[in-house]
Amino acid sequence: MAKIKVVHYINQFFAQVGGEEKADYPAELRIGEAVGPGLAFAANFKDEAEIIATIVCGDSYFNENLEKAKKDILAMVREQAPDVFIAGPAFNAGRYGVACGTIAAAVQEELGIPAVSGMYVENPGADMFKNQIYMVVTKNNAAGMRDAVSKMAPLALKLAKGETVGASVEEGYMPNGTRVNFFDKKRGSERAVQMLLKKLAGKAFETEYPMPNFDRVEPSPPIKDLSHAKIALVTSGGIVPKGNPDHIESSSASRYGEYDITGVSDLTEDTYETAHGGYDPVYANKDADRVLPVDVLRDLEKEGAIGKLHNLFYTTVGNGTSVASAKAFAAEIAAKLKKDGVDAVILTST
Amino acid sequence: MRLEMGYIYIKDIQFSGESKIEDGTLYVSEESAKAVALEDEKLKSVSFDIARPGESIRITPVKDVIEPRVKVEGRGGIFPGVISKIDTVGEGKTYALKGMAVVTAGKIVGFQEGIIDMTGPGADYTPFSKTLNLVMVCEAVDGIEPHEYEKAVRLAGLRVAVYIGELARTLTPDETKVYETCTLKEGIEKYPELPRVAYVQMLQSQGLLHDTYVYGVDAKRIVPTILNPTEIMDGAIISGNCVSACDKNPTYVHLNNPVVHDLFEQHGKTLNFVGQIITNENVYLAEKQRSSDWTAKLCKILDLDGVIISQEGFGNPDTDLIMNCKKIEAEGIKTVIITDEYAGRDGKSQSLADADAAADAVITGGNANQVVILPKLNKVIGTLDYVTKIAGASEETLRGDGSLEVELQVITGATNETGFNCLSAR
Amino acid sequence: MNQNSYKIITNNPLVLKKLDKAYDIIFHEISYEEILREVRDRIHEGHRLLSHPLSGSVKPNETPYKSILITKGKEMKLDLKSLELIENAILACGKFHFKTDTYTSETYKDFQLIDWTLLESGLEAADVW
Repeated sequence: MAKIKVVHYINQFFAQVGGEEKADYPAELRIGEAVGPGLAFAANFKDEAEIIATIVCGDSYFNENLEKAKKDILAMVREQAPDVFIAGPAFNAGRYGVACGTIAAAVQEELGIPAVSGMYVENPGADMFKNQIYMVVTKNNAAGMRDAVSKMAPLALKLAKGETVGASVEEGYMPNGTRVNFFDKKRGSERAVQMLLKKLAGKAFETEYPMPNFDRVEPSPPIKDLSHAKIALVTSGGIVPKGNPDHIESSSASRYGEYDITGVSDLTEDTYETAHGGYDPVYANKDADRVLPVDVLRDLEKEGAIGKLHNLFYTTVGNGTSVASAKAFAAEIAAKLKKDGVDAVILTST
Repeated sequence: MRLEMGYIYIKDIQFSGESKIEDGTLYVSEESAKAVALEDEKLKSVSFDIARPGESIRITPVKDVIEPRVKVEGRGGIFPGVISKIDTVGEGKTYALKGMAVVTAGKIVGFQEGIIDMTGPGADYTPFSKTLNLVMVCEAVDGIEPHEYEKAVRLAGLRVAVYIGELARTLTPDETKVYETCTLKEGIEKYPELPRVAYVQMLQSQGLLHDTYVYGVDAKRIVPTILNPTEIMDGAIISGNCVSACDKNPTYVHLNNPVVHDLFEQHGKTLNFVGQIITNENVYLAEKQRSSDWTAKLCKILDLDGVIISQEGFGNPDTDLIMNCKKIEAEGIKTVIITDEYAGRDGKSQSLADADAAADAVITGGNANQVVILPKLNKVIGTLDYVTKIAGASEETLRGDGSLEVELQVITGATNETGFNCLSAR
Repeated sequence: MNQNSYKIITNNPLVLKKLDKAYDIIFHEISYEEILREVRDRIHEGHRLLSHPLSGSVKPNETPYKSILITKGKEMKLDLKSLELIENAILACGKFHFKTDTYTSETYKDFQLIDWTLLESGLEAADVW
């Protein structure tokens, strides 16, 4: 039987090109070579699979030249036509993790080649991509290499062979929102007793079914004097200047926009529109104030009901946008609003 | 309260002229067993069959599974208030025939569920592929109403199980196990350092084919109450439940309730097993509220530190489960809940019909929507007529080669919510 | 709670046969899921759920019948718990696929009977209130 063909993606550090000073190393294809962690994979594959090529790319290069790097690497992978694509493991290296997740997801999505990556749970790339590709849980540094490879290699082979992948807890990947049955070693009642004993003793335990996420936020105290407050508008309704200059996606937005409304007192059909898909945009496009009420707030500003409308508004598209992305946008936006001395925000959606 | 359980291991079942147990073999006189089953004039006929682990046999539609037992010492008899006279059970000495079960089957309604495969992939999912099964297929007299039929089959199964159990009365058990709980005061004095733990069992209680009985009382009509956990071992709780094959509790599960047994395992070692609280799962929302209020109240009165809550059935019991969990946690008592999931065939749907952040310790019996292919087996006990119409069976159910494509929900006991099985999901 | 304080929303013809005119019954020949949606709309109008929309363990789409009790009167405030229950019930419909077109008429009668007994157990509770 022919060996399974694997293409492996690693960064400049694991390719021993260099450290941070070499992080701008452009994507490079090394045909017929297993490099760094690739050797550990090769050893684990035994005769069943071989790394037919390794792609090395600097972390800064990848993240700063995202579109080009992605395009170039996809072309390299397409040309090699592997049965499976492995990225990392990235452990706790943030930019490397994001690069691994991004490229692995792209290979799987755009080339239809199954992909697997691995990293530490707190690596930002984990949350971003664990629902798109199989993301193996690793330790937080390269001392966990052997362990990471021992989980990623068999999973990659299963994917290459089209075999059924077991539950996350069996295979070692991060839970990805898809529930998979498996036979545990102990019956449920015994597991329940063990879990209760841990819970009673205040020890860590892991629920078998995490409840849907209830991310409830405590409301802030009310504003005492609205007439001196600086109010900002933030929306997930996709209101953007006409032409959508930053190309915010109509669904699964990967970015948000920041726009100046100094001197704007009304959003008109000629100046603003919505980038949001998934709802009938006619009324929003006709009068974007219906989603982002700049006109009413200018009135209130004039009347002295509010102190000031903040000169910048923030906007993204809520349609299909992942909670992780939304959280990341919100954290950045909130920091900016705080820095600008905004007292309160009106959040609108569609 | 102290109950000594004597286990008699049954290694084979055979039909014979005379009913008896000899050297681990159960000999059943079909004629005598038939007479016991047909004491009820609502039943027209009954046929007996034997299904052994590994045999190419499919039993369907299964109604109940029962383990034969006999009360040899102490108050009352097996299935009090139903087969035996009303008397509080759970103390003295009881013998159980291990490794076997009486399985009742028969079409009560047109969509009757429940498959037990004795071999193949289906056998991995049902706990009753591992028992020697004495199967009785009951047919009712013409023109009978479904609720009368259900009752007739339910009672016939229990009568036959008691008849078989009686055969063991004078035998010497292969193994003996003692289950003993303390009174409140004794427990506090004896185990001052151990956490006080109870078991909250939710019983399906909604209407025809959805009912459970406690000492003969329809569980819809109870308010939550306290049992000594040994009571269930004498058949204090029986099943009148025929829907949701995968996650209903057959009488066998009540008799062998795994939470009760596993808590007894730890009793006096890591915890003090204080008792069992039973509650119901009614249709009317205000009744759900009352029952969960009462359950939490009883937990508080018992000064508990922790409870395990088990569920039965699909859909609305998710609400009872969450209400119980939330209210008990609000009393400062730690909970672990046992449920199963309906996450869709692709595993991507929301698993439960209700949720709360308080439910942070969940044990799952698996996704009941998971598809499984059951190959054609040589023999069918009961009828396959309804298989294409049972829960989880879809367009492609009966495939060209005679195999069945079904969801786990049709398999008896597959995703049991008392934690009877090893199946889980992540 | 007496018969004047609740409404029954149903697609089960047996309910019409079993209950007399004293009951407030809204009967529509629509699907199980459409009954849930009808109830949801009424919850938005201010009615509250009295019985659980997923009463019974017969799965949505397996049985075509569903009967639900709601309050007769409307309140000013939307009952969020009712809304959550009904929305989750509607979601649950998407998880089940059955071959319902092959049932015999006897089976339909059985489904009607089961739905009726589930409703009946709710009515018994409602009537003692």
